[in-house]
Amino acid sequence: MSADMKTRAPRGGMLVDGLAQVGDCGLFLLNMLGAIPRSLRHLREISRQIWFVGAMSLVIIMISGLFVGMVLALQLYYTLSIFGGTAALGTVVALSLYRELGPVITALLFAGRAGTAMTAEIGLMRATDQLAAMEMMAVDPIAFVATPRFLAGVIAMPLLANVFSLLGLLGAHLVGVTWLGVDNGTFWSNMTSNVDVWKDIVNGTWKALAFGVVVSLIAVFQGYTAPPTSEGVAYATTRTVVFASIVVLALDFVMTAFLM
Amino acid sequence: MPIEAVADALVEVRDLTTLLSGKAVFDGLSLDIPRGKVTAVMGPSGTGKTTLLKHITGQMRPDRGTLRVDGQNVPTLGREALYALRERIGYLFQNSALLTDYDVFENVAFPLRQHARLPEVLLRNIVLTKLQAVGLRGAARLMPSELSGGMARRVALARAIVFDPMLILYDEPFVGLDPIALNQVLKLIRTLNRTLGITSILVAHEFAAVRQVADLVHLIANGRCVASGTPEQLARGESDWTRQFFGGEADGPVPFQYPAGDYATALGFTGAAA
Repeated sequence: MSADMKTRAPRGGMLVDGLAQVGDCGLFLLNMLGAIPRSLRHLREISRQIWFVGAMSLVIIMISGLFVGMVLALQLYYTLSIFGGTAALGTVVALSLYRELGPVITALLFAGRAGTAMTAEIGLMRATDQLAAMEMMAVDPIAFVATPRFLAGVIAMPLLANVFSLLGLLGAHLVGVTWLGVDNGTFWSNMTSNVDVWKDIVNGTWKALAFGVVVSLIAVFQGYTAPPTSEGVAYATTRTVVFASIVVLALDFVMTAFLM
Repeated sequence: MPIEAVADALVEVRDLTTLLSGKAVFDGLSLDIPRGKVTAVMGPSGTGKTTLLKHITGQMRPDRGTLRVDGQNVPTLGREALYALRERIGYLFQNSALLTDYDVFENVAFPLRQHARLPEVLLRNIVLTKLQAVGLRGAARLMPSELSGGMARRVALARAIVFDPMLILYDEPFVGLDPIALNQVLKLIRTLNRTLGITSILVAHEFAAVRQVADLVHLIANGRCVASGTPEQLARGESDWTRQFFGGEADGPVPFQYPAGDYATALGFTGAAA
């Protein structure tokens, strides 16, 4: 696949086209990985993208994390109280957030906030000949545009997922301890003695890293191959959210099965 | 039409054949672009003028034929050689294609930052010199969205000449410009060619503008070069192609009607006529 790859014409049935697109996406990933050494010359661009996809996503991630933690505490408090186990609230919330909800919900939010922005931006760059102009200035758009955004997504996702989980814990503490009256010491001590850094937090971070790879890859690939029309960019943006969400949820199941 | 080889051609196109979706855009196209001159490539819409520019820059490869730029056969060049060649070519896009995230200064500085490790002071001076040449030094800190169409094209031109290229390709540089902006762009094309000796290829439809700057015109139609000469020679040309194109006749070798089936049949009158 050349650096100036454009939208391919349909090749056959839905299955054949789908498989072909997966193949194209794989080749695109190899192209981006091959361009990493050249991309590292554009450190300013990479840090600009980390700011854009990471720092600019912080508000939505923090607010969502807080509310998810609050809801989780409410629901679990009700369930645990049936069995007289409200002392385990902190542990259950922490395990749910770090192992599962943190990486998954962050990835879904990341796809909607940063993924769509990446797709639309790159798609519009193609439509307005900015990618062609770079090629004409002997600058490889894969190395200058695609790879920095991909790397930024991969770097930002684990950090955002951990911020999400942390804010979730604070939300759960707010509801569980401040509102519902769970003992503060019990909340934290049960949590710290039952949550394992390597098995729970690090494994959750691995998941977030993997989700960062697939969401960023899908977003950049969809933008890069979007037909250069307003309709083409709109469809590509929608596809980013749909494909990224499905792949994240499916990959979550596979990774959970292997990491358990 | 057999072409007369130009003694000092910067671009030599021979027997170029290009198929797009099964349709021949070029069918044995041959032409020369002389060094140091302004050459206009004209022709009816859809005859592949922009495609020719893409072949020259290696953005598209032809199906057959050779295309030499400064002695290098572009379709056979590898990535590194192609990029090295592109550093010596300036390309002015029809829609300017400025990088929308960067201001005017950074747009012009972009190729320098990517390919030359220059001290910031020197880089700044080069960029300001180029912006002064296109009359937009005062607009250095404006964003592309703040520029008019004519200004954007002049910024794109400053960016295209920032490396002092041997060849500039202008893709429809006059489209959508008011008379003032059009004359400014014309003046710049003429000045760049006369003062720096940059070879220029101009794809355009506006013959009135083209005849003010072009030394040579190639008329492309039906996948081939159907006429070549100075603007005056072509304006007086007696062939069907030159008469229709330069006389602006609605019908001729380029038919008014897009090829279609029988009109009466399409209207359902076949039976009635019988």
